[in-house]
Amino acid sequence: MSDVKLGRKQRWVNRASALSYCWAIVACMATTLVATPLLNIFDLANIVMLFLLTVVLIALRLGRGPAVIAAFLSVLLFDIFFVPPRFSLAVNDAQYLVTFAVMLGVALIIGQLTAQLRQEANAALAMEKNTRALYEMTRDLFGAMNGSQVAEIVSQFIRKRLSAPATLLLPDDAGELAALHGAGQPKTIPPPQASIAYQRGEAEIFVAASEPFPLGLCLPLKTSMRVRGILMVQFPEPMNNLAPEHRHLLDTIASLAAIAIERMHYVKVAQEALVNAESERLRNSLLSTLSHDLRTPLTVLVGLADSLTRARPPLPSRHGEAAAAIREQALRMSSLVHNLLDMARLQIGKVTLNKEWQPLQEVIGSSLKCLEAPLAQHRISVRLPPDLPLLQFDAVLIERVLVNLFENAVKYAPGGEIVIDAKHTGDVVEITVADNGQGLPTGAEETIFALFERGQHKTGVGGVGLGLAICRAIVEVHGGRIWATTNPEGGARFAFSLPVGNPPLINQELMEGAQRETS
Amino acid sequence: MSEARPLVLLVEDEPEIRRFVRAALEEDGYRTIEATMASQGLSLAASAKPALILLDLGLPDRDGVDFIGDLRSWSTAPVVVLSARSAEAQKIAALDAGADDYVTKPFAVGELLARVRAALRRRPANDNETAVFEFGDVRVDHVRRLVERAQQPVHLTPIEYHLLSFMLTHAGRVMTHRQLLKEIWGPSHVESSHYLRVYVGSLRQKLEVDPTQPRHLLTETGVGYRFQVETADPYKNDNP
Repeated sequence: MSDVKLGRKQRWVNRASALSYCWAIVACMATTLVATPLLNIFDLANIVMLFLLTVVLIALRLGRGPAVIAAFLSVLLFDIFFVPPRFSLAVNDAQYLVTFAVMLGVALIIGQLTAQLRQEANAALAMEKNTRALYEMTRDLFGAMNGSQVAEIVSQFIRKRLSAPATLLLPDDAGELAALHGAGQPKTIPPPQASIAYQRGEAEIFVAASEPFPLGLCLPLKTSMRVRGILMVQFPEPMNNLAPEHRHLLDTIASLAAIAIERMHYVKVAQEALVNAESERLRNSLLSTLSHDLRTPLTVLVGLADSLTRARPPLPSRHGEAAAAIREQALRMSSLVHNLLDMARLQIGKVTLNKEWQPLQEVIGSSLKCLEAPLAQHRISVRLPPDLPLLQFDAVLIERVLVNLFENAVKYAPGGEIVIDAKHTGDVVEITVADNGQGLPTGAEETIFALFERGQHKTGVGGVGLGLAICRAIVEVHGGRIWATTNPEGGARFAFSLPVGNPPLINQELMEGAQRETS
Repeated sequence: MSEARPLVLLVEDEPEIRRFVRAALEEDGYRTIEATMASQGLSLAASAKPALILLDLGLPDRDGVDFIGDLRSWSTAPVVVLSARSAEAQKIAALDAGADDYVTKPFAVGELLARVRAALRRRPANDNETAVFEFGDVRVDHVRRLVERAQQPVHLTPIEYHLLSFMLTHAGRVMTHRQLLKEIWGPSHVESSHYLRVYVGSLRQKLEVDPTQPRHLLTETGVGYRFQVETADPYKNDNP
C-alpha cells in the first residue's frame, strides 16, 4: 500500500518548502558563526567536517532540496570565511579548489543519500500506519452486526483517510438500492449511476449536484457470488486528480465491505435455516407422535372387532353384526384420522412429493382396488385414450385424490354409474370422475373444496368435508387444478388436471406392442 | 403333533396389538413367541429359530430396517412387516433389506393371516421351480418359453417374458420397483422406474381381462408390484 497521505503532504511540502530552505540557509550561517572562533584551534579540514555534518543534518531534517542548497552554501561560506584570503572568494592555494570540489561532491552525495533514507523511512512509516488502519477497519468490520455498522465503519475510515464523505448503498427487500447511513451523514438519494454500477458490477463516475463535493465514484461491492451493494464516495476535487493509490485503497475498502456484507448475509441465511429446521422438526415429531398414538388404538380396535367376527363357532348373528359394525366404524375413524393428518401435513407445506413418471391407468387401477368392496354395487367404466402420455406424479397422493373422488361418488350416487375418463388437452391431462347421482347444489361448485365444507348439509350423508379439500391440496402441489360441475344429464362431475411436462422417451416399439392388444 | 405347527415370532411393542395377533395366529394353528424390543427379538430369532417373524417397524429401541438387515446376515426365515400408512419409504427400505411382505395398520386379521400363510408356503417353492404355471386363463410353460391365453399363444418380448417369469417365481410376494429393475435391467437402472411401469402395463394389456383393474399383476402403490395367483378376495377366503 502506498502513501495515501502523499498528495496532501506534497501540497503541505510546497507551502512549507520556502521555510525549509530558509532553515537550511540559517543552519549554514550558524555553522559559520560557530566555526569562526574555532579557526585558531582546528585545522581547516575539521571545519569542512563541521559543514558536512550540517548538510547531513539538514538532509535528514529538511529533505533533498534544502540539502543541495546547504551543500553549495557551505562551500561558498567555507571559501569566504575560512580559506585564506578570508572574506573573499579568491583562493591563494589552488589546492583548495580540490577541497571545494570534494567537499561539494561529498555534501551532495551524503545529502542525497540521507534524504532518500528519510523518504524511505517516512514511506515505510506511512505504509505501516495505513496497513494498521486497514487492519483495524477489517477487525471492526468483522465485529459489525449489521449493514449500518458496516456503513458507519467504512464511511468513518474514508472520511479520516481521504477527507471524503462515503455512503454504503445496499439493496432492500425489493432489490432497490438504498443508503445505509453512518451517524452524522447527510441523507443522499442514490444517483442513477449507482444502479448501473450495481447491475454491471463495474465502477461508475457521476457528477453530484451538491457542493462542495461535485464528483462521485460508485464502486460495486463484489463477492464471488454476486454484487452485494455499492460504495459511493464523493470528492471535493476533479476526479482526474484521484491518485492511483487512493483508487487502490478504495477498491480494497470496497472488497472488505463486500466480504463483511456477504458474511452477514450468510449468517442470516444460516440462522433462518436453523429456525426453520427446528420448527419443522417440532411439527414433524408432533405429527408422527400424534399419528402413532391415534393409530395404535385404532389398529387394536379393528383387530379385536375383526377377531370377533371370525370367532369359531360364529357369534349369534346379532353380536356378529355388532362386531362387524364396530370394525366398520373403526376403519372409518382410521381413514378420518389419516385424512386429518394428511391435511395437516399438506397445509404445513412440508409434504415431500415422490414424483415419478408413470401411466395414469395404473393409479386408477390401484384406486379402484382400494375401494373394491364399496364399489362392488356400482357400474364402473374407465375410458382412457390409448395415446395418453406418461405423467409425473406422486402415486400415493394421486391415489388418495381418486379414492376420495370415488368415495364421494359412492356416497352421493349409491348404486349408480361411475365413469372415469381422461383427455390430453394442451399442456395438461384432464381426469374426470362423473357419477349419475343427485349432482351438486347450485352455486356450490367452488365452496365444496373448502376445508370442512360439505356439499349437501341436509342429506344426512356422513363426512366432515375433508376429502375434497385434501384433493385440492394434493392437485395443487402437483401444479394442477381441480374443479366440479353438474352434469347436464344429472350427477356430479369432478375433474382435475395434471401438467404433462416433458415425459421421458420410451422405446416406441414397446409402446406400439402394448397398444396393439388394446384394440 | 404340536411340533408340526409352525412357530411365529411376534416383535411388537404394543401389548394390545400383540394380544389380538397372538390370538388370531394361535386360532389358525401357529405357535407363537413374543418380543417387545428389537434386541430381544433378534436373540429369540437366533435361539428359537421361528418359521416366520412378524415385525413392527416402529420399535422403540431400534429401527426395524436395521433389524431385518441384521437378521438377514444369518437367517432366511420370512419376515412380514407391520407398518404405518403413509410410510412408503419405510416399507420399501424394509423390503429392500430383505423383508418378504408387509401389512399396513390398521389391518384386517384375515389379511394378516393370508400374508403369513403365503410367506410360509412359498419358501420351499423357490427351489423346484414349476415347469408350467397357470393363473386365470393364462398358461406359462417355462420349458418351452410359451405363454398362452385361452389356448391362444401370446407374444411376449424377451423383457416382458423375463419380467413375468421373475414375478411368477416370487408369486404372492411384494417386489419393490428397485428389486424388479435390478433383476431385469441390472443395478445401473434402478432409477428408471417408468420403464418398469410401461412393461407392467403392456403385460397387463396382454394377460389381464381388464388391464385397468388387474386381478393378478397388482400394484402396491408407491412400493412396487405383487403377483397374485388366486384372485379370490383374502378377506372372505381366509378360513381353510
